[in-house]
Amino acid sequence: MSVVEIIDLEKTYKVGDMDVPVLKGISLWIEPAEFVALMGPSGCGKSTLMNILGCLDRPSSGRVLLKGRDVGDLSDGELARIRRDDIGFVFQSYNLIGRMSNLMNVELPMTLKGVSRDQRKRRARELLAEVGLDHRLDYSPLNLSGGERQRVAIARALANDPAIILADEPTGNLDTKSTKEIMKILRGLNEEGRTIVMVTHDIETTENCSRVVWMRDGRVGDDAS
Amino acid sequence: MRLDDMFEYVLLSFRADRGRALMSSLGIIIGVISIVVMLSVGEGLYGGVNERFGDLDMDLITVRPGSDMGHGGPGDRPRSTPEEPAELSEKDVKIIENVGGVGDVYPLKVTNALLSFRGDNTTIRVLGVAPENHADLEEVVDRGRFLVDSDYKTAVVSHDVADNFFRMKISPGNKIRLYRTEEGRHMDFKVVGVLEEDEDPTYASENTIYITHRAMEDLLDLEDYHYSMIMVRAKDSSRVETVAEEMNEDLSRIHRDEAYTVEPLTTRLESMLEILVMIKYALAGIGSISLIVGAIGISNVMMLTVRERTQEIGVMKAIGATAWEVRTLYLLDAGMLGLVGSLVGILLGVLISNVIGSVAMIPVAVTGQSIAFGLLFGVLITSIAGVYPANKAAKLDPIEALQAE
Repeated sequence: MSVVEIIDLEKTYKVGDMDVPVLKGISLWIEPAEFVALMGPSGCGKSTLMNILGCLDRPSSGRVLLKGRDVGDLSDGELARIRRDDIGFVFQSYNLIGRMSNLMNVELPMTLKGVSRDQRKRRARELLAEVGLDHRLDYSPLNLSGGERQRVAIARALANDPAIILADEPTGNLDTKSTKEIMKILRGLNEEGRTIVMVTHDIETTENCSRVVWMRDGRVGDDAS
Repeated sequence: MRLDDMFEYVLLSFRADRGRALMSSLGIIIGVISIVVMLSVGEGLYGGVNERFGDLDMDLITVRPGSDMGHGGPGDRPRSTPEEPAELSEKDVKIIENVGGVGDVYPLKVTNALLSFRGDNTTIRVLGVAPENHADLEEVVDRGRFLVDSDYKTAVVSHDVADNFFRMKISPGNKIRLYRTEEGRHMDFKVVGVLEEDEDPTYASENTIYITHRAMEDLLDLEDYHYSMIMVRAKDSSRVETVAEEMNEDLSRIHRDEAYTVEPLTTRLESMLEILVMIKYALAGIGSISLIVGAIGISNVMMLTVRERTQEIGVMKAIGATAWEVRTLYLLDAGMLGLVGSLVGILLGVLISNVIGSVAMIPVAVTGQSIAFGLLFGVLITSIAGVYPANKAAKLDPIEALQAE
């Protein structure tokens, strides 16, 4: 079963009285353990597609199935549950909470899920160790470098063992060295069998991807392997 | 999200931003202080009056000229037209004495006069009395004797007038002079008695000099001498209302178009206490206003917080917090500010009440009721103040919120 099935997805925004189509009929299948890079010029609809994949937004028409479940019919509360349990977000601007320690940031998805304190602290420590930050547990993310922050964000994305990781330009704010580190971590996760969809502008970061999906003007172009 | 984790999240935000927590709860603290203080002072006034007058003679009935404003005692009659105040005279005393169940009847005339003793002057209350009925006052004479009916230019003074008002104490045998201040008329009296300190003040209280009606009549030099009030003692205090009604009926025959009021003393006390209860809640109402202002302050600070944390709220929602959870977090935030603010406010309120009590000599009483009222109102108002910001936070669109800086 595909992790993600997108069939004839359209998304139209209302701007004033005008309907502005952003996604114009997208069909896309993502299989387990795939590492998909999503590329395309600005304004082609990548972010919108990611938002819908991430259950932050709803399709105007068409179907989006996550693990076989149509997310179009779900309530806001159910969508939040899916975001919490099945999706791991990695943002370009990290989006960590500065007044919480790194440990608490990684715990947060588990806290929301109601995981017991001991269990989630143990798992958060393990995850931060996996990304090489076990010596920064009680620091605020504000005291970390960009690359380190993104590693915390990746640990957070993994907290509830999601079905898919959605990374929106994860290296967009990083220097070359940090980019390499982050890509190495993502490649490692993919090799462990995790499904990843990554929006990127940097062709070099796609070298580890199993597939590059090109988007242009609200449509998916050629699939390139 | 589990409730204990929600508490932890809220506590974390308090710890991260102590200034915010303090500033927003300051208004609540002040509001709760004022509620507790106002209620305690009101309660103290009530308790003080009740204590002072609560053990009054329950068998006393007063008859006064004029109508009692508003209050519905047994002396009330329909007042369709404005009436002249009744002139109470010996005739009324006779009528009252003939009512069944009536014991002693004391007609009183009250006036103010300047009392002069050995070159010192002071204004006091002069009470004209009919001595034969004042068996009760005879019993509280400290030195000398009480007046008798045949007395004319003789006076009895209350203990404070005798002991405290002049450089020298007044003793039986001393001469005093009374001036009717406005006219310069004066009369000399010989003091025959000094009363004991009255622990149960009724009409015979402090700052008073007693003379006979005959002397009073000459002192005032009026063409028509009327009583200011007639005090009546019912033989049976449980029948005081019935006796008052019967007196009222009999008196109405000679005061057809004149206003007068027959009222058991208990009724007066009750109406006074009713007024004090109203004052207490009016004071608490004033206190509540500052609490509401404080709550608006909390609402404002929380709105700012929600705006500041827009991105954080977006993150929370993106990684799976439901609108319900976000709303609960921010309501809890407000509720806990309210709870802590109220507790601090109660503590300070109790302290301040006691300070006010001892400085202003008011018998301030901090009751469980005022504390409960302060706590309940504090938490409730703050929570209500939190509803709008909490809803605002809950309704944030995660996509837009994530883009906020």
